[in-house]
Amino acid sequence: MIGQLLKKQVHKSQLLFFTLSSSLGLGILLIVVQLFIDTQSLFNSKNDLLGNQNLIIYKDLGRDNAFTSDEITALNAQPFINKTGGFTHGTYRVLASVTFPNHAGISTEMFLEAVSDEFIDITNKDWKWQPGDKEVPIIIPKNYINLYNFGYATSSGLPQVNENIIRQVPIDLTLSGTHKTENYRAYILDASEKINSILVPESFLNYTNKKLSPLKDNKVSRIILDVINPSDPKLLEFLASKKYNYLSNDVQNSKLSYVLKLILSIVLGIGLLITILSIYLVITNINLLILKNKQTITQLHFLGYSKGQIAKVYHAIAFKVLAVSIIVALSLNIICKFIFMPYLSVLQIESNLTSIIYTVILSVLIFISLAMYYRNHTNSKIKQMLRPNTSLLSSEN
Amino acid sequence: MQVTIQSIIPDYFTPASSEVWSKNFEFQPNSKYLVKAVSGSGKSSLFNFIYGLNNRFSGSILFNDTSITSFSESEWTTIRTQKIAIVFQGLKLFPELTALENIQLKNILTNHKTEAEILDMMSQLDVNQLANKKAETLSYGQQQRIAIIRALCQPFKLLLLDEPFSHIDEAQITNAIALINKEVTTNQATLIIASLGDTYNIDYTKTILL
Repeated sequence: MIGQLLKKQVHKSQLLFFTLSSSLGLGILLIVVQLFIDTQSLFNSKNDLLGNQNLIIYKDLGRDNAFTSDEITALNAQPFINKTGGFTHGTYRVLASVTFPNHAGISTEMFLEAVSDEFIDITNKDWKWQPGDKEVPIIIPKNYINLYNFGYATSSGLPQVNENIIRQVPIDLTLSGTHKTENYRAYILDASEKINSILVPESFLNYTNKKLSPLKDNKVSRIILDVINPSDPKLLEFLASKKYNYLSNDVQNSKLSYVLKLILSIVLGIGLLITILSIYLVITNINLLILKNKQTITQLHFLGYSKGQIAKVYHAIAFKVLAVSIIVALSLNIICKFIFMPYLSVLQIESNLTSIIYTVILSVLIFISLAMYYRNHTNSKIKQMLRPNTSLLSSEN
Repeated sequence: MQVTIQSIIPDYFTPASSEVWSKNFEFQPNSKYLVKAVSGSGKSSLFNFIYGLNNRFSGSILFNDTSITSFSESEWTTIRTQKIAIVFQGLKLFPELTALENIQLKNILTNHKTEAEILDMMSQLDVNQLANKKAETLSYGQQQRIAIIRALCQPFKLLLLDEPFSHIDEAQITNAIALINKEVTTNQATLIIASLGDTYNIDYTKTILL
């Protein structure tokens, strides 16, 4: 009966409008949060286009193009550079030969380089070497495999290989240093999309350099930088001032990543704005409703109804609007998850339910905090209205 | 319940000299008082002060030696459902509810009477046939009788009636007074009636001129 009295000014169409607007706001909010979570792997992974937070720099060609330790210290001191890693190269000649069964073997001169493991986009438990190990793992650039498959193999009648088969191919390395020549067995562990070099574990390179050419210095001719944003103008300006070169491709990729993040942030902002506006609308509507029912509220209070009993009616309205909004928003979010799935799988994002779990938790938190906010707001409005002397009766004397 | 009045005077108008304003006196338990005054002298103000709706006065009002200014909001709620019943001069019925719903609105809060008892009281005041009529369709006299029944649907130690019979005929006034007297006796309560002049044949402990 009290509900019937206190709700007499409620218009269903208004409530529906508020519910829809807050559903929309919350829906956009949840969808963007879900997209952020789903695409995290893109932003974080070391090997992906969008995750490229590394930049390889080198000096102009010439005899003396190694980086000095002072220069490396200066690079490390820059605020926009997180850390640096030098490429060290083998101080010996390398001859690699491969024998395919039933085919003539091929052999080639090549080189070996090493870089700190943290910059390599491949994590594999076999990526290690210590003296006494039978085989040396090698990482080659991915485009080498393509060059071989579609260039060399096709023209010379050799079988094409993929990354799994290539592991099985035994490679014989002959390393000739100033003091000694040694043979090692090697195999290709994986192919890197990021580092355009032939890599062996640092431990192997240090060991063989010392053993085969003990008198030669290790020089750092290329440096890989871990940066916050490879397209940061301050970074590019700094590199230009030092006349360091870099691959512009890396910078382009980071711009792409930046634009994607920017778009997601803008959409998140719009979602937040709509949510805030809809919260404001609901609050304004509750205020209006309370104000319209001022006489009823005060009379009920005079009869002995407590503020809590009166406020409960308005809480129920606000909670229903909120609950329906959140359920609609969450459903939209789950539907979008399945709509986006094929698009995300193109970007090699595994579909999993983590983002849904997070958005459900977020929805529950939003419900609790908004419900508490609405409750406190309604209580304070009603309390304000029922202060002594604001009564309609006090005018009677 | 003893109600002690200590030198109260409203802040918002200056009343003429009377036996209430700026005086000290008590409303004793189990007694009946008539507050007699002309229109505009502050009868409703006095009732609103006692009922806690208005605190714009200087001086003190004590319930059993406790100042009413010390009561919290929830204590007032308890007082209004357990200690003090009131019939406002303006009645304050809800026009969109039926006569019976208006009474039930109070009774569901206190759970004091059964529906049969309520209907019995309604028939005593000859308004039982109006139970399902909307309050807004009733005459003022009929509404006054509904408001009286509503006030009796709670336990009380003090019953405040602000010009309760102004639009009721003699015969129904007699019935209403019989009902009120019975409830006041059952509740061992104090009765205070405000009136412009009529005494309604009640045996008052004291008549106070306002």
